[in-house]
Amino acid sequence: MYEIRFHGRGGQGGRMAAEAYALAAFLEGKYAVSFPIFGAERRGAPVKAFTRVDDKKIRIKTQIYQPDYVVVLDETLIETEDVLEGLKEDGMVIINTPKKPEEVELSKPVKCATVDATSIALEILGRPITNTAILGAIAKATGKVSIESIEKAIIEKFGARLGKEAGEKNALAARTAYEKTLVGVAKGGKEFKPRKKWLPTVEEMPIGGAIATMQTEAGLVGIGSFIENKTGDWRTFKPIINKEKCIGCKLCWFYCPEGCISMQDGKATVNYDYCKGCGICANECPTKAIKMEREVRA
Amino acid sequence: MIEKLPAKKMVITGDYAAAYGALLCDVDVVAAYPITPQTLIVEEFSTFVNDGITDAEFIMVESEHSAMSACIAAQAAGARTFTATSSQGLALMHEMLFVASALRLPVVMAVVNRTLAAPIGIWCEHNDSMPERDSGWIQMSCEDNQEVLDMIIMAYKIGENKDVLLPVMPCLDAFILSHTVEPVEAPSSDEVAEFLPKYEPQAILDPDKPMAIGTFTPPEYIQELRYQTHVAMEKAKDVIKKVTKEFASKFGRDYHGLIEEYRCDDADVVLMTIGTVTGTAREVVDELRQKGKKVGLIKLRFYRPFPAEEIRKIAENVEAFGVYDRAISYGSGGPLFIETRHALYGLDLPVLNFLAGLGGRDVVKGDVEKMYEILLKAKEEKPKEEIYWIGTRGVEI
Repeated sequence: MYEIRFHGRGGQGGRMAAEAYALAAFLEGKYAVSFPIFGAERRGAPVKAFTRVDDKKIRIKTQIYQPDYVVVLDETLIETEDVLEGLKEDGMVIINTPKKPEEVELSKPVKCATVDATSIALEILGRPITNTAILGAIAKATGKVSIESIEKAIIEKFGARLGKEAGEKNALAARTAYEKTLVGVAKGGKEFKPRKKWLPTVEEMPIGGAIATMQTEAGLVGIGSFIENKTGDWRTFKPIINKEKCIGCKLCWFYCPEGCISMQDGKATVNYDYCKGCGICANECPTKAIKMEREVRA
Repeated sequence: MIEKLPAKKMVITGDYAAAYGALLCDVDVVAAYPITPQTLIVEEFSTFVNDGITDAEFIMVESEHSAMSACIAAQAAGARTFTATSSQGLALMHEMLFVASALRLPVVMAVVNRTLAAPIGIWCEHNDSMPERDSGWIQMSCEDNQEVLDMIIMAYKIGENKDVLLPVMPCLDAFILSHTVEPVEAPSSDEVAEFLPKYEPQAILDPDKPMAIGTFTPPEYIQELRYQTHVAMEKAKDVIKKVTKEFASKFGRDYHGLIEEYRCDDADVVLMTIGTVTGTAREVVDELRQKGKKVGLIKLRFYRPFPAEEIRKIAENVEAFGVYDRAISYGSGGPLFIETRHALYGLDLPVLNFLAGLGGRDVVKGDVEKMYEILLKAKEEKPKEEIYWIGTRGVEI
């Protein structure tokens, strides 16, 4: 049996990739299981999905803790997620990046395959949806499943949802990625600080789960969330407020699901540390004072 | 009526398996309200209706209470009905569950086990279905997606049996099955039709031949009705065994009736599991057996009717018996533990309870190994505790 862990962001299709891989393995006569970890997150949040493949029926129902392969659909996750966590000694990480494997900085020098799935997806699909292209890279890097089976699985799975033409285009994206994938070894030595987690004992757990703002050994915990867990990096679009047009009606403040808007001198102000870029404020603003602009990060 | 569907092997979620199972059973009416992680079941079914694969009536209702009410009414009018829910949705249905069973209407409902708030969560816990113990529903749990599909088919056959006439609730673990894809073999619609004959209701609401059901009933009558229903639930045990056997001979997959024994033959200690933890426990048993430990496993399939006799028979030959629960009855123990102790009354052996995976926490191999370790120790010396909260921070074991 071998096990794969997929790292992506909500909305990138990591779950579909994990499932399509399972289908490709199944088409080759294997037994394959795939499942996502769902959270209360939304588009842009770091998410994980898993695939197990074996020659015989898979009975184990746990999550995967020691994967043979790790697939990273979004390069920015390397900064915030411990993508190498539990990876087997001779395991391999497959990353969507324009870099060569030798240029990828990770905490350990592990086997690494890279492909610029975003550029391939933009060129062939016209959208930066990388979940099909990355499947081609996995086929090339692991040699565990043929590119033909990947293509078949994509046509079956994505074709059923998006139509025949879209299915074929996605298969082409996988084929192109397959041909362009580079395999090597990543640069090690990068310092990575895994995110701290508050795990209270029965004694420490507030009665009734009533979570007020408080200090824990992992940092400051806010109402149901970590204050240190700055969710602003989930954002793809950023609300920009035109202070001249803002009439201070507070509708954006009222509707913001994250409580990210405050009023300063009678005008709306956004806390970009936590704003996830949902755009509800812009939609609600009666004077069109809020514009959503593409997020540009350094 | 449904389109002719060929036998096929698919890679599908547990939710899809439940919806496809209901489709194969040619249900007439589906009434449902969405709730995560059940939503996919009725969503998939509505797609079958939209695509014209079935001409079943799909009723969208404003709550789960209404979903069950609509199923009860349709079933009373002679239809074969199906619905699905989870957690809060099932709790809201509570009142109507008792109506379905007391009116002896074999509605089938897939329940995706999700933790019942508070605090709110979407992951797996059995504290939604287990409190429905006394509702008069046949309740069972599935280990994998194949069993989900197969069980929906068997559920109709069991519930509609003239000796039973009770509603059936096949349960599947949230996400671990509901949103996990794996290979599932689906029989053809013709094969299912041969196995499951058309539903023949024992009484039909018909404007031409009026009758009343569930009307205001004084104390002179209700006790006899309760007795009837209790007897029907007892009789369901044999029907379940018979149907499982018949299913095995027709489709080649044997679920062994109320429970499945796994390597219990010469076992010193036995652990009883429910739901998906069973699959992981099988792996652990195989590994411990390789190390020479005589451990066995019971997969509990049915919570109601409870297979007391079958469990007792196995317990008579072992030195320690463990019960895994994914729910807690506050102030007592896990629901299955309480039930098992009752079944094993008078036997002289330690019976221990293991709680793990509450709120959807992953139950890993190490957790199951710990359970066996405690059982093997209990065989040697009298254990200090009866209830073990596996993997609970700050609680010593």
